[in-house]
Amino acid sequence: MAENTTHTNKDSDLGVKLPFFGIPKILPYIRPYRTRMMLMILLGIGSSLIDSVYPLFNRYALNHFVAGKTLDTLGAFILLYALVLTAQVADNFVTTYWCGKVEMGVDRDLRNASFNHLQTLSFSYFNQNNVGYIHARVMSDSGKIGELCAWRMMDLVWNGSYLVSILVMMLLLNARLALYILLLVPIAVVIITYFQKHLVVLNRRIREINSTITGNFNEGITGARQIKTLGIENRINTDFDRDTEDMRATSVHATHYSALFTSLVTMMSMFALAIVLWKGGRLTEEGLLQIGTLSVFMSYAVGMMDPIQNIINTISALIAIQVNIERLTRLLHTESDVADTPEVIAKYGDTFQPKKENWEPLYGDVEFRDVSFRYPDGDEYVLSHFNLKVPQGTNVAIVGETGAGKSTLVNLVCRFFEPTAGQVLIDGRDARERSQLWLHSNIGYVLQTPHLFSGTVRDNLRYGKPDASDEEIGRALRLVSAEDVVRKMGGLDAEVGEGGDMLSTGEKQLLSFARAILSDPRILVLDEATASIDTVTEKKIQDAIKTVIQGRTSFMIAHRLSTVVDADVILVVHEGKIIERGTHRELMAKKGYYWNLYSRQYEDMAADMV
Amino acid sequence: MKTKIIDETKRQIDDRRGVRPQKPSERFPSKSGLVFYFLRGALHYFILCVFFSMCVSFLDMTAPKIIGYMVDSIIGDKTSDLPAALNLLVDRWLGGTAYLHAHLGVVALAVAAIAVLAAVCRYFTNLFDSMGSEKLVQRMRNRLFDHIIHLPFAWYNENHTGDIIQRCTSDVDTVRRFVSEQLTQLLRIIILIVFALSFMAGINRQLTLAAFVFIPIIVLYSLFFHNRIGSAFERADVEEGKLSAIAQENLTGVRVVRAFGREAYERERFEQKNDEYTKMWVRLMRLLSAFWVSGDLITGLQILVVMVFGAVLCVDGKLSAGEFIAFFTYNSMLTWPVRGLGRVISEMSKAGISIDRIRYIMNSPTERYAFYQEDGDIAGENRAEDTLISGDICFDHVSFHYQNPQNPDAPEVLRDVSFTVKKGTTIGILGGTGSGKSTLMYLLDRLYELPEGCGQITIGGKNIADIDLETLRGSIGMVLQEPYLFSRTLGENIAIAENGAQETDIRAAARVASLDETVEHFTERYETAVGERGVTLSGGQKQRTAIAQMLIRKPPIMIFDDSLSAVDAETDAKIRHALAGYTGGSTVILIAHRITTLMQADQIIVLDKGSVAEQGTNEALLEKNGIYRKIYDLQRSGATA
Repeated sequence: MAENTTHTNKDSDLGVKLPFFGIPKILPYIRPYRTRMMLMILLGIGSSLIDSVYPLFNRYALNHFVAGKTLDTLGAFILLYALVLTAQVADNFVTTYWCGKVEMGVDRDLRNASFNHLQTLSFSYFNQNNVGYIHARVMSDSGKIGELCAWRMMDLVWNGSYLVSILVMMLLLNARLALYILLLVPIAVVIITYFQKHLVVLNRRIREINSTITGNFNEGITGARQIKTLGIENRINTDFDRDTEDMRATSVHATHYSALFTSLVTMMSMFALAIVLWKGGRLTEEGLLQIGTLSVFMSYAVGMMDPIQNIINTISALIAIQVNIERLTRLLHTESDVADTPEVIAKYGDTFQPKKENWEPLYGDVEFRDVSFRYPDGDEYVLSHFNLKVPQGTNVAIVGETGAGKSTLVNLVCRFFEPTAGQVLIDGRDARERSQLWLHSNIGYVLQTPHLFSGTVRDNLRYGKPDASDEEIGRALRLVSAEDVVRKMGGLDAEVGEGGDMLSTGEKQLLSFARAILSDPRILVLDEATASIDTVTEKKIQDAIKTVIQGRTSFMIAHRLSTVVDADVILVVHEGKIIERGTHRELMAKKGYYWNLYSRQYEDMAADMV
Repeated sequence: MKTKIIDETKRQIDDRRGVRPQKPSERFPSKSGLVFYFLRGALHYFILCVFFSMCVSFLDMTAPKIIGYMVDSIIGDKTSDLPAALNLLVDRWLGGTAYLHAHLGVVALAVAAIAVLAAVCRYFTNLFDSMGSEKLVQRMRNRLFDHIIHLPFAWYNENHTGDIIQRCTSDVDTVRRFVSEQLTQLLRIIILIVFALSFMAGINRQLTLAAFVFIPIIVLYSLFFHNRIGSAFERADVEEGKLSAIAQENLTGVRVVRAFGREAYERERFEQKNDEYTKMWVRLMRLLSAFWVSGDLITGLQILVVMVFGAVLCVDGKLSAGEFIAFFTYNSMLTWPVRGLGRVISEMSKAGISIDRIRYIMNSPTERYAFYQEDGDIAGENRAEDTLISGDICFDHVSFHYQNPQNPDAPEVLRDVSFTVKKGTTIGILGGTGSGKSTLMYLLDRLYELPEGCGQITIGGKNIADIDLETLRGSIGMVLQEPYLFSRTLGENIAIAENGAQETDIRAAARVASLDETVEHFTERYETAVGERGVTLSGGQKQRTAIAQMLIRKPPIMIFDDSLSAVDAETDAKIRHALAGYTGGSTVILIAHRITTLMQADQIIVLDKGSVAEQGTNEALLEKNGIYRKIYDLQRSGATA
């Protein structure tokens, strides 16, 4: 019962702690940018030094022009200022632009890497992780890490060097006064860290509630029909109001902290100013400190809180990003439990660079030889020592109750999973001796829930055979009686909408049938495909199937027993295991489980037939 | 109360039938009207926030003044130019300049005291802003949600889910930021500028003029730039959406990608889009960097002008050292707010679009009333308790076609359909895809309204258009083919429509729906979370949950809209047998593809392309040798093969 997997991996690893904030784990992805990043660090230090130097201009102006009552060096002063300003502007432009480049570069590389890696992962990964979770890894983790490598790093460098340089500057200008102000630094650090910690926790909680509320909106809209037919608008509404009230209360609670926090930090810088006025004023009065220098001290004292706050913010951001690093690298390091061996790749190519010239034709002989199997996330064997020969052209039908595990065999044939023990042979050779792509390129597959990609009808039909001509497409459509569907939509160039939502399930199914047979596959897999089509349409499809499975090996999972009576072999699955096999006639004669299933389905009808 | 319902219902019917003007007047004709509607209960917080923010600005202005005074009149010997009242204060209470000269700590204490006072005001500014902002968001969300779930069903089909959710999340956030960040910030910046201007002008008018010349330049420049870059950001957002959609489709369609061996194609497609997206952002970053540094440049020049001009004034004796310092401090206090002003204004201009997008939802007429009633929850009041209706259901010459703006000549889904379902009997409806079976049921449940002149549907002789929706839907239990499960536990899902359902009721309903065995497989049984955040149920399991959900209500009319399609034949039979003993006197409408599901019904209707093709009992229809017979044989062919 692979479909009943619980997805609990969402927030279980929020408190993750990695050595060095997990940065070593992403180093390989930063390598291409390391030279640029080194230069950025240098430029950032330069920029912060320039910034810390500015008050000195003010000091000079005060000491020399204002106090000295002379304008003799004004020209040189303006020139120097202009030079420094130009340097700073140039420096900042390059730094921010490069930051953007590095950020987007790392982001892009990680996104490509994770997306491409996902293309090689086996189904057990997708069964164990839901789409939303994986999607967030590709789309948002990469962005966060890109941001880390550029902006966060620069924040640390810039603010760190700015803080150091103003502290050094103050010590150089007047060590005694500087020491008084330095006393405030540890206090500030303690206060900021304390609040930061609380706010991180509260903000996480707010985000959680927020996503619940978004989920509620989604539920109210996608579940509208259900809500209306049940008449439970009130109940849903009350629950919603409870969530928004929770959100409001939590947010206001968080503001008590954040408001106190910002107020305290600004107050601290004003205290620093007070200290300068008190101690510095005395020094000035005693003639030990020039008026310009006093003014510089005031600027530094007030400006000191910003870098401290920024550094602490950045560190808490680093802590938060660890989760993203952990999750993304976990994805990137997940090894597919269905992988081609190096020898196979050498000969047949991998998923992205197939060596089609070495591909043998596939004829469609399938054999299960002593196959035992359990799902990677299950602990019970669903097949043990299973043997079955399916010569090419054989039609295999798989029947059983809902959730009995009918998909297992199909998953093995398609090599979506590999046997735990034993072999699946394709044309007499172990499936693992040839590449997955080779096999998949030769299989036609119709899903239980049809899936179309946004794009035109033609794009979708040609999915398995990109070079198919319109004639071929037309032929495939005729075979499955889907011409009407396409005509109704307005031809092959009509858009099918996101996930094919312009079409009904039945129509999507018809199109996915056409898609599956377009590439003329030797093996055809039909996974409960006929479940939601009405009888008349289904009859059309079945007639078509009868034609298309001629000469092809086919595996059909079906609900309705009437659709399987013609099959060469029927496999009866019960509670995950194959309990009977044979032709319809043989199984009926056996009067076992199949017979029971069959007669029960028709008992009402039989009573009437007399 | 009762008459009020009837009046409302009548008015609604009148509206629908075109007695009143076709286009109902909009509830919120203007943007500001909607904003003020949402602001109810939040406005006073924002007023308090602005008030405290004024206090903060004023207090912030005093520090440079004190510094200047100290430098000039306490340390230096310049006669104080403070207002007379303040000089009096210094002389009377603080012991005069001479005392302060000896005790600079007192000045420092004054600065610290002001800092504490400012901190308190700042705290309240932020707190009230947040309280107002959260109240506003809460009200917006509640009103929107309340409105949305009361919209007619057709509305959901005409509007994309993703789009509506975006309106309810990011557009709501845009409006919140408009009020609680941009509007208040705009006011704060203006207040700050006005205060600073007056304080600076008090020091030196010429210098003030020189400093303020730059302000319009900075604001206009950033306004121009933000407007320009705004569209670039939108394009980048669109690109990101496309990229995200590719990833999403690839993941949801992973089976198809694998089965068709199209990984390389997917990779190429993704990498190409990813590259485009990245390049777009890098270009955008270059623009942004250029903007930021040109802002730095203008600010740097402004500081230079103030410094040089100030120095010249000092040398001329028109400005003292303390005044120079104070002026310089005021000037630097203005730098960042002024630089942010352009951004704030340009962002505010975007809010209009978001307000209109929300207005669109709030102006869509709800199902019950063409004109939405003020706040109170509509469905709750006036509810006539326990007045379930039952009786013969009669479809009387019903014709219908879906309104489709793109295709006004949409073909009729139903054509002149007439039949009667006697109270307490079971009717089976058989028909192909698109034969109109589900539409018939949607009309009965008034998910879609039957327009005037298209026949009528009655229950117990009463036109359903005249029956209160609450009562109608409470009386009809409908199980959908593709039911939706709420993200709650399995038990809660079953009991969701039945207040006060007991554990035993849940179990009983689950047993009839043949769900009890499935539940036993889950470790947490009825406490198992389902839906988006829980266990993924198979189509058949979902259908059976929905059946239990309907059964627990024991409605007098039960509809199974192809709701056994994903259940295997054996379970199907099991459920039907159990149902027979459970439905009691309920009228049952069964829609199915499987003849076996229908054959025991008291009456069977065969729908073909929107019309009743055949009608009768199983035996009668079999004898008739028509469509029913044909389908019967088709489904039967397996048995005789």
